[in-house]
Amino acid sequence: MNGLLYGLRDIVIKETLHIRRDPATLVMALMLPLIQLILFGYALDFDVRHIRTAVVDYDHSRESRAYIDGLRNTHYFDIVADLPTPDAAYDALRRGDERVAIVIAPGFARDVAAGRRPVVRILLDGSDSQVANPARSALMNAPNQMPTQGLTAPDVRVDVLFNPDVRTQVYTIPGLVCVLLQLITVSLTSFSLVREREQGTLEQLMVSPVGRLGLMVGKLVPYSVIAFFELGAVLGLGYLIFDVRVAGSVLLLFMLAIPFILAALALGLFISTIAENQAQALQFTLLTVLPSILLSGYISPRENLPGPLYILSEILPVTHFIQICRAIAVRGAGLWDVMPSVLALIAIATVLIVASTTRFRKSVS
Amino acid sequence: MSANAIEIEGLTKRFGNFTAVDNLSFQVASGTIFGFLGPNGSGKSTCIRMLCGLLQPTSGTARVNGHDIRQDPEAIKRSIGYMNQSFSLYRDLTVMENLTFFGGIYGLRGDDLTRRRQSVIDLVGIGDYLDRRAGQLSGGWRQRLALAAALIHEPQLVFLDEPTAGIDPVARRELWDLLFDLAAAGKTLFVTTHYMDEAERCNEIAYIYLSKLMVQGTPAELKQLPDVSPEGTRRIAIAAASPPKALVALKKEPFALDATLVEAEIHLLMPSDTLDQAALDALAKAGVESGKVRPIDPSLEDVFVTITRKLAKENHQ
Repeated sequence: MNGLLYGLRDIVIKETLHIRRDPATLVMALMLPLIQLILFGYALDFDVRHIRTAVVDYDHSRESRAYIDGLRNTHYFDIVADLPTPDAAYDALRRGDERVAIVIAPGFARDVAAGRRPVVRILLDGSDSQVANPARSALMNAPNQMPTQGLTAPDVRVDVLFNPDVRTQVYTIPGLVCVLLQLITVSLTSFSLVREREQGTLEQLMVSPVGRLGLMVGKLVPYSVIAFFELGAVLGLGYLIFDVRVAGSVLLLFMLAIPFILAALALGLFISTIAENQAQALQFTLLTVLPSILLSGYISPRENLPGPLYILSEILPVTHFIQICRAIAVRGAGLWDVMPSVLALIAIATVLIVASTTRFRKSVS
Repeated sequence: MSANAIEIEGLTKRFGNFTAVDNLSFQVASGTIFGFLGPNGSGKSTCIRMLCGLLQPTSGTARVNGHDIRQDPEAIKRSIGYMNQSFSLYRDLTVMENLTFFGGIYGLRGDDLTRRRQSVIDLVGIGDYLDRRAGQLSGGWRQRLALAAALIHEPQLVFLDEPTAGIDPVARRELWDLLFDLAAAGKTLFVTTHYMDEAERCNEIAYIYLSKLMVQGTPAELKQLPDVSPEGTRRIAIAAASPPKALVALKKEPFALDATLVEAEIHLLMPSDTLDQAALDALAKAGVESGKVRPIDPSLEDVFVTITRKLAKENHQ
């Protein structure tokens, strides 16, 4: 008998038995690659189409509408809003509602009729270089691709707002801040309740007068402080190393980080109530990492996501905070501009804390 | 405060089709050490969880320190101490930090906290280890710390769920000395254990099996139960040179109603009209040298073994 290999057969049988007794791990091991395939396949789509676009049409002529239809037919632009003034378009861009605004001056039809090149002014949100660059080239090339009925190619003048140099870091660093922050907070909290359950200290707490909400929120507070420190550190380093400044109010950014950090911590807490042991808590945490990077809009625009993945991305706290962070840090947005994202974060935090507290009661019984 | 720390009335808990606790009724007098015994899975833990206000009963109820477990579980939590079989304090916190935390969650602050903390430190004698992490304490010291934490808010009633499981005999004895001190100070101790010598130390015992209360009484009362020493039987101890061989030989005899081995003696339950000589003959036949024979009373182990086997047999039929 070979001494080194002695017992091999029995160990293999024993391990197989372990795997069969723990179907959750097996399912995770088999499902994870499939999930990754779908996530990477759909999310990593850098071929930008369907850019949300607003139109300010002062001319209201058949010619101006033909020009806009032509842009729509390129499939690069989804015309989603008709706005009255360039100021309204600017606000919409700052809020992040649209990324491109096309302003058609009065006299477009007259210029076309006179054989002059009509002027089209474009407002372009430069905060996302992955959208801004393709959008610009699509606009420049659009007239050439159009079936122009004697239409003179317009003189397209592009104003890049917010990140005029279209620097990549200006766009990626604020997103990275959010992703890192969620990663830290979720992983810190997801272990905390599971650990108490494994060590038996949870039972000791439950026979004491400690309230369930007191326990839950009490666990969140110290981690929130860590998360805030982390936010300051990452923003500070982003400024020092990559020269990425916060265009809007830093104070506002920190204040709006509160609902985000609460939501992320609550997500960790929720994982803590469904995981039976620390190994499972780790698996569940890993399960949130990939969608947070791929679906949140951090890497590639969410416009390309198919419906179900888009809905999934809405559930992730990081998606909303990335929008807040980019709006404030890059586009200098104010509180009202980012209100929808703030409300979404508060809703997520509330649902998760209530769900955790309820699930926790059941798991104790 | 009433004379009873705990009054249980028809307490029942079902999980789906499984009845974990079946119509339990008994009282625990204040100031006693009450032994709550039964095999694993007999419903002890479920019962304790209900008494501590962690779990609501399916039917029946109980009053703990005068509070109804259905109506006021939170008042119960404030008025009881609880010490678990597995060490359930924070291993990465020091002894002092653990005590401060547990004092805090029972609402102790400032001078009250300092005074109570010092009092339990003195009580269990853990003063030399205050800065040590709880995880680095030996098993016996851990249990002392757990007891100190369970007592910090001065509960009149303390639940101790297998407090001595897995600790060495000396530490076990010392912990029991502490429990005697507490009982002497008027506290009620509700203790579960699998150790028969610990059961002997209890003022009163309730024994549950298959979710039902089998017997309740003082250890002396239990040993006198007719089921344990049926009419027309007696118990003797026979010393033997090779006790295991002697046990095997005696168990084959039809007159051996029950036989077990204690130290170097065989404890034998047999019909009263069977002579000692019959047992000695059986040993001689098996080639085992036998010694002195003496009459004995049943032990608590005999009590529980007999009752459990009797019920198992009835259930089988």
